[in-house]
Amino acid sequence: MTTRLASNRPDAEALIAFENDLNNIREEAMAKVGEKDARYIRKIIRIQRSSDILGRISLVLGFYNPLFWLAGVVLLALSKILDNMEIGHNVMHGQYDWMNDPHINSRKFDWDIWGDGDSWKRYHNHEHHTYTNIIGKDRDYGYGLLRLSDDIGWRPKNRFQFITYTLLSSFFQFGIAYHEVAGERIFAGKRKENSSLPISREELKHSFFSKIKKQVFKEYLFFPLLAALISWPMFFAVLAGNLIAELIRNLWTSSVIFCGHFTEDAQTFDEKECENENRGEWYYRQILGSSNFEGSRIFHILTGHLSRQTEHHLFPDVPAHYYIDMAKQVQAVCAKYDIPYNTGSFAQQYWTVVKRVIKYSFPTEAEQGVTVN
Amino acid sequence: MSASTNASNNVSNNGLMQQGWTWFSQALTQHDTFSSYFQPLIQMLVPHWTTDAYRAQIVEIRDEMSDMYSLVLKPQSGLLDRDWPTFKAGQFIELMVEKEGSRTLRCFSISSSPAYYEKTGLIELSIRIQQQGRITPWIRQQLNVGSLVNISAAQGEFVLPESIFPKSVMQEAALSSQKAEKLLFIAGGSGITPFRSMLQQLNSNESQLDIHLLYYSRDANQVLFQDEFQQLEKEHSGLTIRYIDSENEGFISVDHLQKYCTDYYQRTAFICGPSPMIQQARKVLTELEVEPNKINFEFFGAAPVEIENSEHGVVLFKASDKTVVSEKDKVSTLLEQAEAQGLNPVSGCRMGVCHQCICKKKSGVVFNTRTQQYSDTGSEEIQLCISVAQGDVVLDL
Repeated sequence: MTTRLASNRPDAEALIAFENDLNNIREEAMAKVGEKDARYIRKIIRIQRSSDILGRISLVLGFYNPLFWLAGVVLLALSKILDNMEIGHNVMHGQYDWMNDPHINSRKFDWDIWGDGDSWKRYHNHEHHTYTNIIGKDRDYGYGLLRLSDDIGWRPKNRFQFITYTLLSSFFQFGIAYHEVAGERIFAGKRKENSSLPISREELKHSFFSKIKKQVFKEYLFFPLLAALISWPMFFAVLAGNLIAELIRNLWTSSVIFCGHFTEDAQTFDEKECENENRGEWYYRQILGSSNFEGSRIFHILTGHLSRQTEHHLFPDVPAHYYIDMAKQVQAVCAKYDIPYNTGSFAQQYWTVVKRVIKYSFPTEAEQGVTVN
Repeated sequence: MSASTNASNNVSNNGLMQQGWTWFSQALTQHDTFSSYFQPLIQMLVPHWTTDAYRAQIVEIRDEMSDMYSLVLKPQSGLLDRDWPTFKAGQFIELMVEKEGSRTLRCFSISSSPAYYEKTGLIELSIRIQQQGRITPWIRQQLNVGSLVNISAAQGEFVLPESIFPKSVMQEAALSSQKAEKLLFIAGGSGITPFRSMLQQLNSNESQLDIHLLYYSRDANQVLFQDEFQQLEKEHSGLTIRYIDSENEGFISVDHLQKYCTDYYQRTAFICGPSPMIQQARKVLTELEVEPNKINFEFFGAAPVEIENSEHGVVLFKASDKTVVSEKDKVSTLLEQAEAQGLNPVSGCRMGVCHQCICKKKSGVVFNTRTQQYSDTGSEEIQLCISVAQGDVVLDL
């Protein structure tokens, strides 16, 4: 249910103080940014590159012992998860642009996933981060496939949306690639009035296919064929290994992301109420629309620190590993202004996502009446 | 098939090969080159190795004056190091250092000659310590003999005409063109560095050139390279150096030229020094009706750091060759200024969140309205939508 922002948010004066508190948290973190962060991200990149290379070698060594194959799948999945989450997502948010390193830069970086980096930046950093959880503006809300709030009318296809959700999670990289170029608009011709795409539909289509071609070539053709040089059945062993590594990454990233915005208590907003928002109001909405989950340090890194989705939405360009400490401060600020702060264990949060997907599979009582008639 | 079509076929074949290879690298590594994907791993074995620069080792740090030092660098060569391409006297390089995890670039003229590089494999940079600078004092303190830095290939058009350098085969022709060519060098302070390179180079070529150098310094007791120059002057009949104390005699003027270099109108002028001096020298020479194509100049040194009371500055959009004068009382972002010029940079949220409008700033200081901080003066990426120019700014747009 859409939050009536006006009714329960702190008054204007409190929001200004709240904004200042959050700005201070940001400044405190940014003042610390420096050499150790450069070292940190380079270390993660080295781990990712090593596990990519070792993973691919190990898959082929499955020829000698299937355990190698298994290790290869795990290493490759790890490489993709690190590349997409802690490296790609954060670098493309500009968290490391201050390093002025041409290879660790939001303008240049592209990730190991079907979705093209430039298209992702265009919609994600702009639409999703500016209009978080505003129904009708934030296309990430349910990805145009799922009904996750009663602001969207029930349709018969929603009955099966748990299956849709499972499929979306499994093929998440395709879903994201299609979604980020607004596939339903450029392919199915559902043009939106006064759409403000900065580049033409042709260019969008081109980058969509061009990236997918490269990924398909790499994962389903080149590396399997390379292995087939040793013995032809290895083609299928490597192909299967690559597919499973991608599946693991898809399930992991989609679960992390769903736990960030679609938990039971994550709220949605009305477009009109968000017009002419000031920074404090924007902060407030980001907190209500996001949710966190707990875990160990390695767990946080594997989520790309999106386990701190709230802090990520407040401070998208602060290097993500600061979110862990910032979260404690943000939580204290929220308590001070009596603003709900959504966190829990991964299992708890994930369970509420599942409940939400199922709950909105069914029409509301009012709608039931309409459908029966 | 004619030779020319053959050549163009080769070019397009190479182009296609290159494109194919880039595609292959992008497909396998999401990077335009394999080396950029492997760079972080290669760096574990070869520190400071990068795809877009050369490595050089600091061989010596020599204090020249109280606020001036020279770095003697040895560009590395070896299995993984590409050979550093040589340079022409008068050119500059970008020196890249990583300060607090952030790569910072500064341009410095090479103050030693190509001949010296050929002989020893060394180049020298002579650096003035900018009192409020972020980098020049830092380099002096932080870098030690033996440290590695990154450098670019040599760049710049501030070089002597090719024709005057005698090559063994064309010795005669070169010598005769040397006699025809007369040069006027005007240097201000640390702007002497490219001229040192040129003079050293001419020395090694046993030049007969007629050169007149007007060398302005703020302090007559502290003149960079004075001993060396006096030696050069003794060895070369064609070289005349006039040391001018700018505290007493002021910057270059019509008087100075008429007094110290009476045949200035016959000479091709090369000017290097602080920007006000260059502007004034150009004005003076133009007033004296020296042809514009005989005036060469190089802006030198870091842009001024004091910006609190900056006058209105000029924003140059380099790629599209447009300039805007920003007014002091009307604050507009670089994005707005670019759009007002009909440029259409990619932009997004216009509030500094989405990083779509990132653009390369080549030089100058900008104020970031979001972080409330001033940028560095060198080349770096900035967000146009939240950047306001402070003084002169050059953008790669």
